[in-house]
Amino acid sequence: MGHRSSSSVAALAAAAAGTWDRFWFTPTTAGRLAIVRALAGLLGLLLAWSWARDLVVWFGPDGIVSPQVLGAWRSPTALSLFDVARSSAALWALFFFGVGLLGLLTVGAWTLFTAPLAALFWASLLHRGPMLVGPADDVLAVILWCLVVGRSGDAFSVDRRLAAAEARPSWRNGLALAFLRLHASVIAAAAVVAQLKADVWWNGTAAWWLAARESTRVDLTGVFAGSEIATNFVTHAIVLFEIAFATGVWNRWTRGPVARAGLVGWPLIGLVAGEPMWGAAMAILAWACLPDDSAAGTAGPPL
Amino acid sequence: MARHHTPDRDDRRRPPGALVRPEGSAPTGPEEGAERGHERAAGALPETLRGPATLLLGLYLVGLFLCVAGNTASGTSLLVGTIKDRLFAPWMVPLWLDLGHDTRLTYGLPEDADHHLEIYLAGQLSGKPVGQPAGKPAGKRVGRPTAALRLPADGDHSERAARWRRLAAAAVLAEEDAEQAGVLPAAIGAGSFAAAGDDDLEIRIVRSVPPDYASARSPRGTETALEVRVRRRDGELQLIPMPPAEELAPLIDAAPAPGGEN
Repeated sequence: MGHRSSSSVAALAAAAAGTWDRFWFTPTTAGRLAIVRALAGLLGLLLAWSWARDLVVWFGPDGIVSPQVLGAWRSPTALSLFDVARSSAALWALFFFGVGLLGLLTVGAWTLFTAPLAALFWASLLHRGPMLVGPADDVLAVILWCLVVGRSGDAFSVDRRLAAAEARPSWRNGLALAFLRLHASVIAAAAVVAQLKADVWWNGTAAWWLAARESTRVDLTGVFAGSEIATNFVTHAIVLFEIAFATGVWNRWTRGPVARAGLVGWPLIGLVAGEPMWGAAMAILAWACLPDDSAAGTAGPPL
Repeated sequence: MARHHTPDRDDRRRPPGALVRPEGSAPTGPEEGAERGHERAAGALPETLRGPATLLLGLYLVGLFLCVAGNTASGTSLLVGTIKDRLFAPWMVPLWLDLGHDTRLTYGLPEDADHHLEIYLAGQLSGKPVGQPAGKPAGKRVGRPTAALRLPADGDHSERAARWRRLAAAAVLAEEDAEQAGVLPAAIGAGSFAAAGDDDLEIRIVRSVPPDYASARSPRGTETALEVRVRRRDGELQLIPMPPAEELAPLIDAAPAPGGEN
């Protein structure tokens, strides 16, 4: 009896260890991660553009986000490379260097170096103006650090074209994809938890409050004003989708469908919510969640 | 029972005619065994590193959980905050990974409405052109004064505009924090002196409030969330709070007093 129970515990522990190993350390080809890299690089360039026009107004020598403002806003452990850029010229030089890194990351050039440097640049930029940061910036930061873990330059890249040897599957790619999947689920779950604290997500009018904002990109106020049922449907659909995504990526049967739904669903939610860049960033995470067998043809031809 | 075989993308790189053996079966000879060992070494995490890697992953998962739990709008417990700040913040904050991800999108509250900045020359908002430089028109209290600068511009839906809206909303929200109150409005004013050509400005942060769903056909309303005057005198930056208009307006009783004259 005791022997049987101890052996079943050992079997369970071995199964759990096997599952843990398979989730985190399965050697994987770089195709999927390379596409995440390219999309994240493009998103980074788009977001960087939104900082560019007011860079000096915000961070310049006489800018709004002065060291005094940062002192009141930033955590004591926060650091930014931009803190040392005391002149407008230095600020622009550092900014364009970072944009260049994002460009190199997008095409997969010297990825071993550009991936961590681009992530460092992005974190530095966000630390320089924390009150200007939006949810898309946060998600992009997570994606960029996940890319540092993997070998995303092994496919669809300049690196691949220049490489002499064929790229092989690597546990680092599996680890990076596992991190991306974990964060995709956590971000969706945290959004649901945050939303369900408010009445508007229960009484079904949250979609109205999103659509009626001045900053909305797609004007759905006419539709929602005309039909409370439609308003309720969109509100509840957003919550249910987020719950389905957060949980569904962990099950082998539901992972594919919810990840594919995420490729469409997250951008749509982003549009309705007036946060299209956040929707795009979440769609990148959804891409990373797709099961391996749905990514035929992403094994890694050169750029 | 036949095992489900997941197609391996490496199948495509296998030379034509090569032996395909079920997963997990033993190599048939020393050369093949060495080749498989080499392949495993090339792609798999070495066994010796799995323990430390698992430990680091566990540590990161704890940090991730604490960051999510410790960065919610509902506040955080002292225990979670202390553990996070002592053990995880020192390395997760610099990487911008100390995130709550509590993307609520909206709660339908005024603070979720769009905010924008309006910057006026001194006197335009208050109607008291104290020290107004010659040649600069003082604003009139009749009708809505025209802002010298509106950020973001009306109708701008870009990501850049979203950052200005966040800045304006952050300035209002910070008024509830003793350490941050007034810091951003003063900085916005100081940063706008050059653009406005004056060292004495009035700053108003306006929120555009959507109508309730019950009155969905009504237009959006606007309300002033914050109004301050920022000026520089002898090199010193001064922030002068401007009380809301309703506090300045005289109280007029519309109804005649009983027995009073019409």
